[in-house]
Amino acid sequence: MSDSAENTKNPLQIEIFPSRILSPQTAQKLLAEIYQIDGILRVMVQGHRLPTKVGFGPGTGEKVEHPQRKAIEVEGQVIELKVNVGRLRLEVADAEVKEKVRKACEKVFPFPFEFREGHFLKRKATVTDYAKLGPNADPKLLGMVDPKAGNYKNLIFIDNKKGKNPNEEE
Amino acid sequence: MVYNPQYYPGATSVAANRRKHISGDLEKLREISDEDLTAILGHRAPGSDYPSTHPPLAEMGEPECSIREIVEPTPGAKAGDRVRYVQFADSMYNAPATPYFRSYFAANNFRGVDPGTLSGRQIVEARERDMEECAKVQMETEISCPALSGMRGATVHGHSVRLQEDGVMFDMLDRRRLENGTIIMDKDQVAIPLDRKVDLGKPMSEEEAAKRTTIYRVDNVPFRGDEEVVEWVHRVFDQRTTYGFQPL
Repeated sequence: MSDSAENTKNPLQIEIFPSRILSPQTAQKLLAEIYQIDGILRVMVQGHRLPTKVGFGPGTGEKVEHPQRKAIEVEGQVIELKVNVGRLRLEVADAEVKEKVRKACEKVFPFPFEFREGHFLKRKATVTDYAKLGPNADPKLLGMVDPKAGNYKNLIFIDNKKGKNPNEEE
Repeated sequence: MVYNPQYYPGATSVAANRRKHISGDLEKLREISDEDLTAILGHRAPGSDYPSTHPPLAEMGEPECSIREIVEPTPGAKAGDRVRYVQFADSMYNAPATPYFRSYFAANNFRGVDPGTLSGRQIVEARERDMEECAKVQMETEISCPALSGMRGATVHGHSVRLQEDGVMFDMLDRRRLENGTIIMDKDQVAIPLDRKVDLGKPMSEEEAAKRTTIYRVDNVPFRGDEEVVEWVHRVFDQRTTYGFQPL
């Protein structure tokens, strides 16, 4: 892999950090826009947990029916949001896709947002990854969940033909 | 010559608001009934008597003590109320108060209160009716904005979280929310559901919150823009380093 700035054909990782935490409607709108773009390889949604029950204090066990905890639809697949979306980390095929994602954000957000390129999702397996996933782990699984928590069930696979890296050879 | 206490230095709106909070010279912005306040505090049923932890002081036959003669007990202490708490979280996005200024407010304006200051929350412990009096002032005046401040006894987090799209501070336990332009609270401060919806009032607009805040922020009134405050903060730090802080 070349580190040259001229090389725009390697996968990139980007982080979207809006200035407000997103309502489920806006999150759905943004994800729908993102999944319209060719070359989205991985998407990680992060935010504050929305519990179903009070976990601490005299009210422990009481139900919390948080209005932000709703089901959203992405590419025809219904997903129950367990977090209040505050940050998205994406792996995209190249710099062109990155710019398309930026445009999608500009279209959806009525407020300012930070948009940065960096290294947010693991590219190499750690010892823990190796122990949990074995030697032939799918590199796309790396960094998507905490390997020590081991809950790969939290991963949602969205069937998106456009997600294929156009720079990859058949 | 009449002595006017000088509560806080500075020429900016933030410094003026800090002076207001400490002095207790506050503008009342909304009305919350005693019953509603009791409900959201969650320590006793609204309308019920104050449970007591000891008999009223008048019946107890106190020992002879010059200090007890000088110091008039607070109404809560006189009646033998339990010690109970109220706790607030304030958003760092231009909430009117900060934990320190809530503590200065309580300690300067009420007797028999025990304010506790933490990074993102502030608690006042006192005899129940004394605490309620202090809580009511905080809820009704410019110290609180219903959207940017919250009464939270447990799972207090929200202070440093970005605001929701509707401009309300995030509450993981959904104690209060924006409904038809006002903030409604239908759970008490520890998230036990109530049988009523308490109207906490209209949230402040972004401009009003920026005007009423006691928080210096680079995107509003920057701390470095308030020369007198910077000078005094430097002086306090300097003297504390040199001698140990001895303000008197």
